[in-house]
Amino acid sequence: MMTGTDTGVGQMTSGAPDTAGPVMAATGITVRFGGLTALSEVGLEVPTGTIVGLVGPNGAGKSTLFAVLSGLLRPASGRVFLRGKDVTNASPQLRAREGLARTFQQPELFMGLTVREHVVLAHRVRFARQRLWRDMMDPRSLLPPARAENERVDQLLELLDLTHVARASVGALPLGTSRLVEIARALATRPDVVLLDEPLSGLDMRESENLASVFRRVVENDEHRVSLLMVEHDVATVLSLSSKIFVLDFGELIASGTPAEIRSNAAVRSAYLGDDDDSSTTPAGPKEAP
Amino acid sequence: MLQYVIAGLVLGGIYAIASAGLVITYVSSGILNFSFGALAYFVARFYYYLHTQQNWGIPYAALLSILVAGPALGVLLYFMLFRFLRLSSPLVKVVATLGLLVAIPALSTLIFGTEAISSAPGLAPQPVRVFDFIGVAVTLDQVIVYACVVATVVVGSAVLRYTDVGLKVRALVDSPAMTALSGTSPSAVSIGVWAVSTFFAGLAGVLAAPIIGLDSGNFTLLIAAAFAAVIAARFRSLPIAVTVGLAMGVVTSLIQKYLPPSSNWTTEVVDAVPFMFIAIFLIYNLIRRDLDRDSDRVGGALDRAITPQGATQLAGSTSSSLDARRVGLIGKYGGPGLLIVVAALLPILVQGFWVGLVAQAFAYGIIFLSFTLVTGEGGMIWLCQITFAGVGGLTASQLATNHGWPILAAIVVGGLVALPMGLVIGFLTIRLGDLYVALVTLTFGLLMENLVFTIGIFTNGGLGVNVVRPSFAVTDHAFAYVCLVAFAILALFILNLRRSTTGLALNAVRWSPPGARTLGISVVQMKIIVAGLGAMVAGIGGGFLVAAQTSAQPANFATFLGVIWLAALVTIGIRSNAAALVAGLTFTMLPALALAYLPSWTGQLPPILFGLGAIGVAKFPDGSLEQSGEMFRRWLYERADRRSSSSGAPGAGGGLAGRVLQAPSVMPAHLVEEVPS
Repeated sequence: MMTGTDTGVGQMTSGAPDTAGPVMAATGITVRFGGLTALSEVGLEVPTGTIVGLVGPNGAGKSTLFAVLSGLLRPASGRVFLRGKDVTNASPQLRAREGLARTFQQPELFMGLTVREHVVLAHRVRFARQRLWRDMMDPRSLLPPARAENERVDQLLELLDLTHVARASVGALPLGTSRLVEIARALATRPDVVLLDEPLSGLDMRESENLASVFRRVVENDEHRVSLLMVEHDVATVLSLSSKIFVLDFGELIASGTPAEIRSNAAVRSAYLGDDDDSSTTPAGPKEAP
Repeated sequence: MLQYVIAGLVLGGIYAIASAGLVITYVSSGILNFSFGALAYFVARFYYYLHTQQNWGIPYAALLSILVAGPALGVLLYFMLFRFLRLSSPLVKVVATLGLLVAIPALSTLIFGTEAISSAPGLAPQPVRVFDFIGVAVTLDQVIVYACVVATVVVGSAVLRYTDVGLKVRALVDSPAMTALSGTSPSAVSIGVWAVSTFFAGLAGVLAAPIIGLDSGNFTLLIAAAFAAVIAARFRSLPIAVTVGLAMGVVTSLIQKYLPPSSNWTTEVVDAVPFMFIAIFLIYNLIRRDLDRDSDRVGGALDRAITPQGATQLAGSTSSSLDARRVGLIGKYGGPGLLIVVAALLPILVQGFWVGLVAQAFAYGIIFLSFTLVTGEGGMIWLCQITFAGVGGLTASQLATNHGWPILAAIVVGGLVALPMGLVIGFLTIRLGDLYVALVTLTFGLLMENLVFTIGIFTNGGLGVNVVRPSFAVTDHAFAYVCLVAFAILALFILNLRRSTTGLALNAVRWSPPGARTLGISVVQMKIIVAGLGAMVAGIGGGFLVAAQTSAQPANFATFLGVIWLAALVTIGIRSNAAALVAGLTFTMLPALALAYLPSWTGQLPPILFGLGAIGVAKFPDGSLEQSGEMFRRWLYERADRRSSSSGAPGAGGGLAGRVLQAPSVMPAHLVEEVPS
């Protein structure tokens, strides 16, 4: 079993934000639901401007770990750091303000808003905070929005090929498009790190390729280095996209490393294929985790 | 003492039967039936019609009303309404059953007449036999109540817990889809459940009639009191519901023993006892953090997967799904523009009595804006907006009449007095599911109505407090314009808020609290803001209403009257400022028009229409005004589309989303914006 110390995260301390270290890190995360231990001493780190994969069979604890990282679930023990700052006890909204964004396995969209309004809201939450009293007293909301806001929103819609449905209510969108809206919404907050929960599920092969290329462009953007932590069942895509991968099984971190290291890791093969695995088969073999 | 206990057990027995019916319905359908009291009243009135007015014997009248008409009504309502609610949000369920609560008593009056009946027979033959039980007189009617309670507990618990039927019933509420896949018809089970539920309603109604008379308001209050037992049972435990129901009856009876019998205060306290019980149970559960959002869960995973996203919610998008550029200025501003012109001309076009009604209609419009904020924008079903309106109205009248304040300043202060109340209720209910929020606000309204609005300085011996209008707007005509200007200012304020970041954030919180929180939006802050603003707007509206009526009468702010207000607004549209104004006009003018120009029986039609309109949210959540507007915009859009097609404009574009959306069965073509050539 690996722990947070093994990943090198153990040196993280609470205090002032650290711009040089990993953008996000977790150490010794343990979560229990009654008598069931969903996560046991799990640690990981997400370097700046990279794509990191988090894989594991169903029930491995990936979604639970995402809930802990995003603040929706409080761990029994362990710490979560954002740019070196301890955010373990911070609320989800506080973490969002610290530069964390996420998408959900089942898209959590706002059915009363259009696609464009999702992006506008996310943009304003980040760049036009403390507007409550101004919103109530200032009649400018009745006027068209500022040009800078429009440009940024249009850019994101274009990046994700959502321009054509910008004015559509999200309630009418198919699952794949809903995922794109969630990603656009997450990116509109100009986050430092985005947690992507199965972003490719519901998309066909061509759409998956397009989205993968969007992810590459996002992390390679020199203006603002975004990191992506991705949970995905499509292991082949994760291996091709990620610079580092963490593997969970039964709530424990069983491996971490580069795609090549993960491919050759016996524990990973065992978790995915059982103990009687063929040594020539890699985790990239099965498209879906068992 | 014993006679108080025995008398209390009768009232408690009726609470127990009612709460048993409510629990069984909730366990099997996920619906807390707010119309239970109205259904009980309807069956009891039918029994009275057969037995007393048509001289049927008790067994035949009881058989036809309780065992046939009651269940038949349940089956009819299932086909008309409840089957559409199965996977609806708690918000829609509450509003739809409130619609029934409004419609059924009016329908009953239409069928059986307006005769006031203060004394009604029960199931015992007249004269009622009296037994001696350890020195205490016990009537046969009371014995029948006790027997019914025992039968309810024994049979109800046994069926739910130990039989196949009970298992199927419990499976149905967890997942109708999985129930169907396992070979059981959800419809057949549901029909049975609703038949049993209305049987209980009818039984409780016929048993209660000798005690409370045949008054629909009393029935509604009686059943609202039974909610205390249902809350104590956390909606699910039949034995706890029955036990608490019985205990409530006994405590209510015992309190009367120790309070001065001739005091008005005694009556007020006794009336408020069940609502104090509700408050105690809610606070207890709140402290234990037991009021989770389980009650908001809609079906199982499979049911949610096969339900279109957002299709079960109250109120839809903030804007039309049609491209605004294609429907033009007429499509975008035509409706509101027309309404502004009509509203501005109305005080000039009508004369005399009708001008005063128009002023009241505009004041109602202001109050209805508070529903638009709280329920339409905030997605919270508050049943005490009328209480805030009462707080505002009564405060304004006191300040203006008894302390010499200028009335407009008094109205603003009335709104400011209501504001902190809204903030406190909002804070207390922040973590609760929709159903609990509805119950907490209903309880708050009933407690205020029974304990505060009955204070002498407000009732003034039943005369109310006269209110003098501002010197520059003494006439109905001038004051109508003052109300209209106030409405316009508040409507613009809400419109501005809706289009602002705060408005978008409110919308986000309403649809997905986890999505909103992980975006950096504070759910707590948003809901409390809406609660406070909603209370303030209602308070201001209440102030304008008492000024329009030139009198502040606490009775005009009865909690269940607020349910009719909500029904009227929901019928027109809960999320539109224009709908608030139209609802104000409809609520005020429609009954007056019926009374002035149509046969007297048509006076019952408006509440029936409002009730049916509220029931209609199950199928048309946006309301009639928004629906009509959308149809008009769609017509304009299609006309523009035909023109552009004939001139050879390009079709839907490519791109990732565009390709995904090309399947016509998935996405209507009009939702896909065309690519400029």
